[in-house]
Order: sequence, then C-alpha cells, then structure tokens
Amino acid sequence: MAALRSVAPWRGGWLPALQLVRHGSKAVTRHWKAMHFQRQKLMAVTEYLAPRPAVPPRCLGPRREAPQEDNGYAQLLRRQVEEAFRDNRMIAICQYNSMPDEDLVLMRHYLRKHNIEVKFVLNEIVRPVLSQSKYKNLLPLFVARNILLVSPEAKVREMLRVLKGVPQVNLLGACIDDTILSRQGVENFAKLPPLEAAQGQTVGALELLPSQTSSLLQRGSAHLTALLDQHIHRLQTGETGSTAEPSPAQSSGAH
Amino acid sequence: MASKIRVVLRPVKSILVRFCPFESDVESTRKFLQYINHKKIQATNRNCEVTADVRHDGSEPLVDVRFADGERLIMKGANLTTIEMLTALGARCNAKDVKEEPKSKKKNP
Repeated sequence: MAALRSVAPWRGGWLPALQLVRHGSKAVTRHWKAMHFQRQKLMAVTEYLAPRPAVPPRCLGPRREAPQEDNGYAQLLRRQVEEAFRDNRMIAICQYNSMPDEDLVLMRHYLRKHNIEVKFVLNEIVRPVLSQSKYKNLLPLFVARNILLVSPEAKVREMLRVLKGVPQVNLLGACIDDTILSRQGVENFAKLPPLEAAQGQTVGALELLPSQTSSLLQRGSAHLTALLDQHIHRLQTGETGSTAEPSPAQSSGAH
Repeated sequence: MASKIRVVLRPVKSILVRFCPFESDVESTRKFLQYINHKKIQATNRNCEVTADVRHDGSEPLVDVRFADGERLIMKGANLTTIEMLTALGARCNAKDVKEEPKSKKKNP
C-alpha cells in the first residue's frame, strides 16, 4: 500500500513532485534490496576486468616444477637407514602384518636379548637410499609394510626361532655380511657350523693331499732305513764281522 | 579403500599365500596378506589359519583358500589387484554365509 505524503502546499506555490515511499523498507535491510538505477549503472561500468597477459599461456613452454625441498625429518630418517646398513652385519627384512601390541612388545624383548633391533621403515625413504647404494637387488622387497631386524652379530638361529613363534611376521630375505640371501638361504646359513669348526674342516681337507705326497716321497728312503736297521740288529745279535764291511758299501751304492 | 571391504571368514578353514618376494608382481598379494591379517577380519573367525609361504623359485604369487565345506578358491595374484581379490573372497564368503543362515533357521524353529 502506497502511502502518499504530499508536501504541504506553500502559500502561493505548489510543488508538483510527490514523494512516493514504499511501505516498510529502509535504506539498510536484511534482505537484498534492488539498487537504485543510477547505482546499477555505476556498478556495471566499474566492474573488474582481469588483465589479459600479452602472450596467452598456451603459447609458453611447459612449466618446470621446482624440485621439492627435502623435509628435514625425511633426511634424518634417510641418514638413520644408511647408518643401519653401514654399521650392522645382519639386516633381515620381514613383512609386518598387524599384530597385537603386547605380542609386538614381547617379540621386541626377545630379539633385544640377542642384540637384534627391530626398526620400522617407510618404503618411500628406503627406496631412494637403496637405489643409490650397492643393495639394488633388495629394492623389490620394499613393497607393503616392512620391518628391519638389524644386528651387529649374525645370530640367525635365535632370530628364526623367535620368528617361528610369531606368525604375523614373515621373513622375506636378509643381507648378511654384504651377501643377499633369500629365506631359504637364511635357513641354510643357520644350519652352518660355526666359523672355527668350518675353518678347521677346510684346513684338514687341504692338508690331506700334501701329507699323502710327502709320505709317498719318503716311502723309499724310510723303507731302506728300516731294512738297514733290521740288518744291523741281526748282525749285532749274530756277531759275524765279515758281513759288516760289504753292508756299508751296499748302502753307499744305493744312495 | 580395501579396509572398507568386510570379509567374513566364518566359512573359511585355511588360507595359504605363496609368493616370491624378489619378483616384481607380488605387491597385490602382499597387500592381500596384510589385510587378511588385520584384527577385524581375524576376529570374524579365530580358527582360520593363515600361512605365508615365502619362496625364491620365480613362481607366480598364489592365494589358496580352503572352505569348511571342502571347496577351494585359487587366486593367481600376478595380474589381480588387492581389491579384486578381497571382493572375490568376500562375495564367496557372504554367499556361503547366506546359504548357512536359512539352513540354521530351519534347524532351529
């Protein structure tokens, strides 16, 4: 409903303009109010136009992404992995399927008793480290979740015994003394005798042939010496002086 | 994600996963083994034995599932993804479960 408010007519004059005011609407409203036409025109004229680049971006060459900066934490983890590979004689790689926590703690405890440490590793950290080191053949092992069992000594039998009691950790392979072994290789390594016994066996085997050769060479002279001894013994018991002279002549002739 | 696939292992007797870790096509099989060993799936059937056979003879990865009614499911994981293997196993387990329910309902009126 339009309320007509006519300006009070002055004496001698009459303003023809009537101010029409719509009912209820003030300047500042909670709903969207249509702008005055002049304001609409002003807004249309002063709209923002984005500046166009002189050369369209399609004509420029492909942008080369700046190499991502290395995260400090990633660098630290990489350094730890490198140290682990450098300082330990035995590194076993196992697949880790989720285990209850208390079993994990027990396993860690038993392995720690044999000086074997359990390390959880991330594949994205280990893969670049390995690809630049000499352990390239271990790369296909690092897929899915893995753990490393590292130790400065090679106590393979104890490790296998502990792992047999844990079905959720599967041994995939190991690197012992810079030699990459598969699971079968690790089991064979565990069955080997200790180093001193192996060395003794090798020395014994090598010694056999030369000892046979030396006994063969000495057989002739040893036989002769034995015969002469026997002869002297017989002469001494027989007490015949004439046979004593030709026997030293015979012995010098044989030499 | 593969963790969304619910596999009910009740009709399964044993699962054998055989793979050669030095090959390049074992990723899906290894991930399958990881998911099978998850506590939620293991909780559905404590009697199911999961064995991992790690070899080094260049053989292709294999998953051998034996069901309680004697059926066998062999999945050769060389060209399969983990999700495909899990859905296949899950579908068969659900089918067997569904078959068992009406039978048990008939037995216990």
